[in-house]
Amino acid sequence: MAIQIIKKGIADTIQDIGRYGYQHLGIQANGYLDYQSARLANYILGNSVNAPVFEIHFPASSFCFTRNYTICISGANFVPLLNEKSIAINTAIEVKQNDILQFLKPLEGRVAYIAIQGKIKEEAWLNSHSYFANSIQKDAQFEWEVSSEISNQFLKNSELLSSEIINEMHSPIFSSGPIQFIPGPAWNDLTEASQKLFLSTEYHIGMQANRMGYPLKGALLQLNKPNQYLSAAVTRGTLQLLPNGELMVLMADHQTIGGYANLGQIILVDLPRLAQASNQTSIHFMETTIDTAHKLYQQIEKKFIHRS
Amino acid sequence: MKTNFENMNWRLALLGDHALVFSLEEKMSEEIIEKIMALKKSIEILHFDFIKELIPSYHTLTLVYDINLFYQNNITVKNNQSVVEFGNDMLTAFNSAATNSTIKNAAEKIKANNNLIENNSFTDREKIIQIPVCYDERLGIDLENIVSRNKISIEEIIKIHTEETYLVYCLGFLPGFAYMGKVNAAIQIARHASPRKEVQAGSVGIAGMQTGIYPMNSPGGWQIIGRTPIKIFDKAPAILGKLSAGNRIQFYPIDFAEFEKLNEYK
Repeated sequence: MAIQIIKKGIADTIQDIGRYGYQHLGIQANGYLDYQSARLANYILGNSVNAPVFEIHFPASSFCFTRNYTICISGANFVPLLNEKSIAINTAIEVKQNDILQFLKPLEGRVAYIAIQGKIKEEAWLNSHSYFANSIQKDAQFEWEVSSEISNQFLKNSELLSSEIINEMHSPIFSSGPIQFIPGPAWNDLTEASQKLFLSTEYHIGMQANRMGYPLKGALLQLNKPNQYLSAAVTRGTLQLLPNGELMVLMADHQTIGGYANLGQIILVDLPRLAQASNQTSIHFMETTIDTAHKLYQQIEKKFIHRS
Repeated sequence: MKTNFENMNWRLALLGDHALVFSLEEKMSEEIIEKIMALKKSIEILHFDFIKELIPSYHTLTLVYDINLFYQNNITVKNNQSVVEFGNDMLTAFNSAATNSTIKNAAEKIKANNNLIENNSFTDREKIIQIPVCYDERLGIDLENIVSRNKISIEEIIKIHTEETYLVYCLGFLPGFAYMGKVNAAIQIARHASPRKEVQAGSVGIAGMQTGIYPMNSPGGWQIIGRTPIKIFDKAPAILGKLSAGNRIQFYPIDFAEFEKLNEYK
């Protein structure tokens, strides 16, 4: 094997774009918390952009490479150290046999990604490598297979990807600005005062944030009817109102259906920004339309399109 | 732009920027889940490549789509359709009221499919999945709660729980967890005020008018009346979809010795 975990992190997993097509059986989609950073790391290396990567939370795992690889770290800056020397993020880095990768401190963001150039050597389950429920343990081993096709793509992408372009793809994920949402089935069940509060006051991510959901601290909201609905499907980005008036944003590991008030859905383009926000970040919500959401989404997707 | 439609008694609404939800009246009813499953099958036969998920639950069908593929699809691009207009066309085609040429093709396909399965209910009325349950008190750890609260004997609870046929209204909470109903009022009981830290895989529980089976060890609040030795969910593809919405199931009692013999969770 070629990559070994020498120290266990708090909640590290392997994630890809997700496991779709099985939610009718109650099987969650899972997948990257911040798909933009994860895909950027893959893109920089010439990998398929939706390929599996390590998703790292702080305190992070430590890695030992038992063969040479090219890797790229994106997303949160946890001050990555290779053999105790600081290395850059959003940059292809060559690692050699016996090199050790560690993360020093959470400088910016909540979730980092480590992409490895090549293809993971591991069986997918239902077309996805995304972990669910469990996390990577100490002594776990992983292997990626290098291919000339990917190395060629790496060379092509390197020509396209100037540091300005990479920065254009990375920095919006760590910028401020309102989080946009589209009102959902229970939006009109909120009292008028609560709608106003939600749109005008600031929220913060609570301590218990994890891959299933991010609780929000801020103004408590009220419905003009009991908070009891027949369960229906929810998506990542669903703003769920809990019975105590607090809000929970459903994230990548959310259950497939839910019976609490569904106030709306954060648009896909803004989810990575929320995923990376710290507990201190002030979060404002702004209503948007599906047209805007789709336009913004396609603009970001176009940046990956050079990839053949 | 129109973002909501009423079509016959269906309602169509956005669920964010990558899902649509088709809904009927919000209630737990066999008639409604049958219509939901029928719409699901009708959309499935059209094989749109941008559809990632069709998730049924009680009175809703949620369609999750890929934004890029939607705007690359020949049909939707040609008709310059918005996602909501596409959804509305699906409803119109489903309701067989299609006269408009853009959806005629879809309507015809759906109609042909409906004719094929005309005499078969969408919820497989004929096929009843039999599931063995051991109602021994060592496994049915909350039987005593129902006995004391509902003034009923364990024998009667077993008789009532096993004589009913249950319909699967949806799956969720855990992979393979089926929400089934409706439980006879005589054995209905509210879930525990605070959930148990761990309910054993295979446990059969009651929560109000619903009954369900825990597919794996998990925290849970349902009142446990017994345990099935049969795996209802596993990563193996053959067991993956053992239960799905629209299935009809019936429980039958087995004793502890039989449970141990059949136990697939060992």
